Amino acid sequence: MTPLDQVILFVVDLLALFAVYLIINTGLNIQQGITGIPNFGLVFAVAAGAYVSGGLSTRIAVSLLGTQTTLDPIFDNISVLQLVNPILRSQPPTAIALLILFLIIGGIAGAVMGLISSAPAVRLREDYLAITLLAFGEMLNVIAIGYKPLIGGPPGVAVPDIFGWAGQYRFYAGTLVLLLVATAIFAYAGYLIKTPLGRTLKAIRDNEIVARSLGKDITQYRTVSILIGSTLCGIGGSLWALYSGAVTPTYARFDWTFLPWLMILLGGMGSNRGTFVGTIIFVALNKLIIYYKYAFVGIVPFNIVWLNYLLLGLITVLVLIYRPEGIVREWSARKENLSAADKEAGSRGPGLKST
Amino acid sequence: MGSLLQVKDVKRSFGNLRALDGVTLNVDEKTVTILIGPNGSGKTTLINVITGLQKPDEGHIHYGSTEITGWSPQQIYRKGIARTFQIPSMFGKLTAFENLLVAEKNHPGESFTKSLVKGLWVKHERDAVEKASRILQLLGLSEQSNTPASLLSGGQMKLVEIGRALMSDANLYLLDEPVSGVNPTLAHEIFARIIGLREQYGITFFIVEHRLDIALQYVDYVNAMASGRLIAAGPPKQVISDPKVIEAYLGA
Repeated sequence: MTPLDQVILFVVDLLALFAVYLIINTGLNIQQGITGIPNFGLVFAVAAGAYVSGGLSTRIAVSLLGTQTTLDPIFDNISVLQLVNPILRSQPPTAIALLILFLIIGGIAGAVMGLISSAPAVRLREDYLAITLLAFGEMLNVIAIGYKPLIGGPPGVAVPDIFGWAGQYRFYAGTLVLLLVATAIFAYAGYLIKTPLGRTLKAIRDNEIVARSLGKDITQYRTVSILIGSTLCGIGGSLWALYSGAVTPTYARFDWTFLPWLMILLGGMGSNRGTFVGTIIFVALNKLIIYYKYAFVGIVPFNIVWLNYLLLGLITVLVLIYRPEGIVREWSARKENLSAADKEAGSRGPGLKST
Repeated sequence: MGSLLQVKDVKRSFGNLRALDGVTLNVDEKTVTILIGPNGSGKTTLINVITGLQKPDEGHIHYGSTEITGWSPQQIYRKGIARTFQIPSMFGKLTAFENLLVAEKNHPGESFTKSLVKGLWVKHERDAVEKASRILQLLGLSEQSNTPASLLSGGQMKLVEIGRALMSDANLYLLDEPVSGVNPTLAHEIFARIIGLREQYGITFFIVEHRLDIALQYVDYVNAMASGRLIAAGPPKQVISDPKVIEAYLGA
């Protein structure tokens, strides 16, 4: 591999990771940033999308493509895929149609799981809601490891090679699809914030009691928000499984709950642009640290594998201390008005100023 | 003039504390009525019970001919009763303008499916925006309309509260201390506007207020509470010369 190839590979990989995190972080930002639902169980919906894709995609491909086989799509996974993949490679439109179908299924899986996890929880106060969601997030891996027909237990399963038709450009095609989906979802979130629905979700976040006294059904809006966010996470999980080519029961809290939280904290909660900024900075930093960290072996007084965790944790602490509202403020679009209002707020004496 | 709000023998306790100990009162249509009473006499609890934030232990509340006892806050708001809060409660990160827009009733753009197609809600939104700007202008808040609500002054927050309530097109407004912490000039202005709204739109106000020096000259009726009970009701002059009221409240 030439150095140029290496750079291209690095960038493509980075973009793919960026795209999948943008999808998931947008989902989290709608829940936490806009509605104020502290979803510490984000991984639940992401893993649901991934595991359902893993469990169903080969089965669906076999039945839709009319492949004649008595082999089991999960337990004889590799042999079945040897029958399925050549068909998908020779028929790009079929592959793309399947891709869209799998994304819809992933989204529905995320939404259903989101609804299940939220049904007992949306009525709770924020802190209890967070704990409940955290517990839910831990459940799916246990099921995926223990229940073999889902994704074959610990070794996981391969999924149909949806991007196989692109040949040696498989990962470019996959990255492109990831970016397209991420762009569409990001655009939707930007739209949602400007709708009356987005406004009401923010109002509930800012003051639940007043929102209730203004006729808003809090439980219903929280459920809508969880559904939207979980659907996006399910799509993200499903897409990531298809892009990676395989699903193993390793969708962990750290990667799919903790990191998304750090990214929206860094970028600025409640702001769509903040989500974008936080995601790109974080993913790039993480990737660079992982890429170069072995140069520091022997220099740092701990095992080098922890370097990115430590540095990213440090960055998060610094952000929380010095810029708790994140890089992009939710109301930065209104800067001119803000400075005027700041002045006014500053001149407000104990007697309260009149208009 | 018929009575718009009837509270009959309403009781509400918090543990051993009898916050409302059998309150009965009427608010007549198209009047401005104030409720006075020392701190802790149950005024805010009464407002909370009427608007459904707290359920009464006993008693009945009628709005017009409908019994609304035990309804949820949403249902009561949709029925046509709006309120403000004693401590200004803003949607802090929304602008003053957006704070008003949130109060719009039955907005199709708030439903997830309808929110997806702009054409289904944009007309309603335009009407709401027009109404909100009219109200902000009426309250003298036009200049602050794009300021995040958490950066407004205390007096401005009080006005946004009133504006938010006005968005509902309610018939009955329960204002919890609308001019506390507001300077006298603005306080007079707020009451003058309340009277103006009553004259213009025929709406009814039920106001909790301590600032008698300002409020009394504007209101039609006064209700006085002490220790969870109504101790006097009637025209301002009659109530403030009532010995029970003087003893409990005016302390003279």
